[in-house]
Amino acid sequence: MGVPEIILIAVCALIVIGVAAASVIRKKQGKSSCDCGGDCSRCRGCAYSRNEKKK
Amino acid sequence: MNRFALAGNPNCGKTTLFNSLTGSTAHVGNWPGVTVDKRDGVYKRLPEQVAIVDLPGIYSLSPYTPEEVIARNYILDEKPDCVINIVDATNLERNLYLTTQIMEIDVPMVVALNMMDAVEKVGDKIDEKELEKRLGVPVVKISALKETGLKELMEKAYKVSKTPREGITVLGDTDVAHLIGDVKIALKGQNVENPLFHAIKLVENDEIEVGMHKETLPMIEEFKKTFKNDTFGADFEALVADARYKYISKNFAPVIQRKNKEKVKMTASDKADKVLTHKIWGIPIFLVVLFLIFHLTFSENFFYLNGFNDSQAWMPSLAENEAFLEKDENGNIVYKKDDDGNYILDYYIDDEGKYVTTRPEEDGDWEQGENGYWGQKIPVYTYGARWLATIYDGTLYSPGVVINNIWNDMIVGDLFGLVKTGVENIGMADWATGLINDGILEGLAAVLSFLPPILVLFMFFSILEDSGYMARIAFILDRMFRKFGLSGRAFLPMIMGFGCSVPAMINTRTLADEKERTATVRVIPFFSCGAKLPILTAVAGALVMGTGMSADVITYSMYLLGIITAIVSVLLMRSTSLKGETPPFIMELPSYHMPQFKNLMAHLWDKTKHFVKKAFTIILASTIVIWVLTHFDFAWRLLGDEEINNSILASVSKLVQPLFTPLGFGSQLGEYGWVFVLAAVSGLIAKENVIASFGTLGACLLAAAGTEGSSLAGVASDLAMCNVSAEAGIGAVKAMIIATNITPAALIAFIAFNMTTIPCFAAVATAKAELQNNNRYKWTLLFWIATSYVVATLVYTIGSWWWTAFVWAVVAAAVVTVIVMINKGMFKKKS
Repeated sequence: MGVPEIILIAVCALIVIGVAAASVIRKKQGKSSCDCGGDCSRCRGCAYSRNEKKK
Repeated sequence: MNRFALAGNPNCGKTTLFNSLTGSTAHVGNWPGVTVDKRDGVYKRLPEQVAIVDLPGIYSLSPYTPEEVIARNYILDEKPDCVINIVDATNLERNLYLTTQIMEIDVPMVVALNMMDAVEKVGDKIDEKELEKRLGVPVVKISALKETGLKELMEKAYKVSKTPREGITVLGDTDVAHLIGDVKIALKGQNVENPLFHAIKLVENDEIEVGMHKETLPMIEEFKKTFKNDTFGADFEALVADARYKYISKNFAPVIQRKNKEKVKMTASDKADKVLTHKIWGIPIFLVVLFLIFHLTFSENFFYLNGFNDSQAWMPSLAENEAFLEKDENGNIVYKKDDDGNYILDYYIDDEGKYVTTRPEEDGDWEQGENGYWGQKIPVYTYGARWLATIYDGTLYSPGVVINNIWNDMIVGDLFGLVKTGVENIGMADWATGLINDGILEGLAAVLSFLPPILVLFMFFSILEDSGYMARIAFILDRMFRKFGLSGRAFLPMIMGFGCSVPAMINTRTLADEKERTATVRVIPFFSCGAKLPILTAVAGALVMGTGMSADVITYSMYLLGIITAIVSVLLMRSTSLKGETPPFIMELPSYHMPQFKNLMAHLWDKTKHFVKKAFTIILASTIVIWVLTHFDFAWRLLGDEEINNSILASVSKLVQPLFTPLGFGSQLGEYGWVFVLAAVSGLIAKENVIASFGTLGACLLAAAGTEGSSLAGVASDLAMCNVSAEAGIGAVKAMIIATNITPAALIAFIAFNMTTIPCFAAVATAKAELQNNNRYKWTLLFWIATSYVVATLVYTIGSWWWTAFVWAVVAAAVVTVIVMINKGMFKKKS
């Protein structure tokens, strides 16, 4: 296995673990689980999160 | 610190006033127990600081919605030092209804006549002194927008807050005035605060009051026995409401002096509403508008300028489309080959037996190409011509398709092609090149290729919502679906479901009735969200090639199927487990207005950012995981492309594959049929994963077919023609069709299954949070699984054997009969 392959495996592992970890951490922090697809202006969850950030 | 509460109808300018009074001290939070915004701040320009609380906008103090309960409880229990009742002066009579109710509470109050700038602009005048005299409470003219009259308002409120006030009512001349008086005396004797307000609410049979003061009920029931009213009977709530409006009309209307004394002319919005909310034509117009949206987004025959395709029919037989499909010895529909075994696509046989690309309208220049086929020379080999081909290529494309073609053919296709070539040139091991090119890039390309139709559709729905038309839809549907147990209020979150199920479910908090709310949460996923669009367009695109059906018709039909499924489900639920009364529905219809371009672009930008972020996080991680699990077996041995059937994911998917046989994409699909099962299951993480899986698996199938000894070797040339990369999504589905011989009926059943099954994890988590009842949540999951299974089976069986429609009709009639009999108590044992 050459260097490019090793780098590839490391990057892929980092992506998968990173995404999974980020989801778990956000959940534990009680952040809004809203996945409103980006329609934030109509999403009460997003409005609430934005206001919490302003505080 | 003194506390003043701002109360008024929605859209009366309360929040504008609040912002003007409190400025940077404003704080936004939530009322406890509900996600209704609570705003509070401080006003500093009086001798002492005053806390200002902005109550939710309400039309009355009746407990039909959480907002009304919050406002009412705050005034009664928190006892603010003054209530500032903001009244929209341009709609005085309607706004004064709430005023007459607040007046009945023992709380100091001031009426703020807002939007006076709008009143004066049209030349009307309001005599606030006369109004003050008739109401019995102070009245101050203001304009929150222009910030005029605010100082006088606050000084007046501060002054009245120092003096206690006893509630007064406008119901003194009604038939129930005496009863109200008696109940008030009884409550006073029990030292109940605000006795007048509670007495009137008890007479109205207010459910909160009835629960709190049961001892007064016999008195009211006794009165009802001898009470007679030809119009309202014993419906005291309606009687009281009518009395309020009559009093307002008689006593307060004269304070307005209109410049134009003629009957108020209809506005442009009113005229439009005469047509758009027509009791007969309203819904057909809505269906036409919806179809127009899909046509502008997906149609490859803009406004059918190129005529209607002869081969179009509902669920056509593939074998009749002789252009490029035929049946093999087993009766399976397969792509046609010429005598040399070459794959035929996009050709048909003309009267002379020649293969041609398009039917010539006139005798044009026809050439025999290198492959021996006749065709018209299309200048697609220059970059400029490629741009032209995105707009017109035999038929004129709709705007959505043009944008899609530019994005896919000119941007995503070229860009990803470059990256793939670069990866191949690095010279890594085959598995590494496969992981990047077939796994990651194919999956990402499949998802990113659908950004344009998602944005175009989202833009149209945003226009409908921002223009005010969506509110009309809720109003029209309320009339129709009230019979099925849902009010129009429930349809507002459902319509939001066309964007995403998560905020739609969160918005069901506006529904006070718990059963109505549960039913709404359950059917929201049937209103296909933006994430399901790639599934629909990819499979529909493949179907278009195979059957000649129109893409806009297929996508429109699937959206309609979701809506019909929702309606039928609600009807069943409200007739059985979630039976209950349909709450009343009051809604203010905003005037129609052109959506602001800036806001629209901001929404689209938000959507784009979110979509791209999701693609490069969750989808990217998912494609890596899917590729790994389709290239390793349980012993963690790296598999060759031809061994994909022995992979971890294939083995697990094959276990559940038989369950999908009644739906058409189970065991009957043979060795590679598990790809559909895997794609559907991967959609649980995010619905876009279905298409990402298509991309990854399609590339794997292509690679597998190219391997010596593979069972797909026989269809390798067919798979090679699918162009999995360039048509990302559609090409992958075509590859899966060839590898599995899935029928069109089963493909449509696959769409139907994905449209109606358990939504993504985020939506499931939201449903659990919103339902707040573990039992109901579990039943909801079961409901989604069962509904999707039944709907997909129905679609597959009717699509494959038309006569099964009669069987389903009989089953449906039997179910309805049993429900009706149960509701009528026919199965109960007679005592």
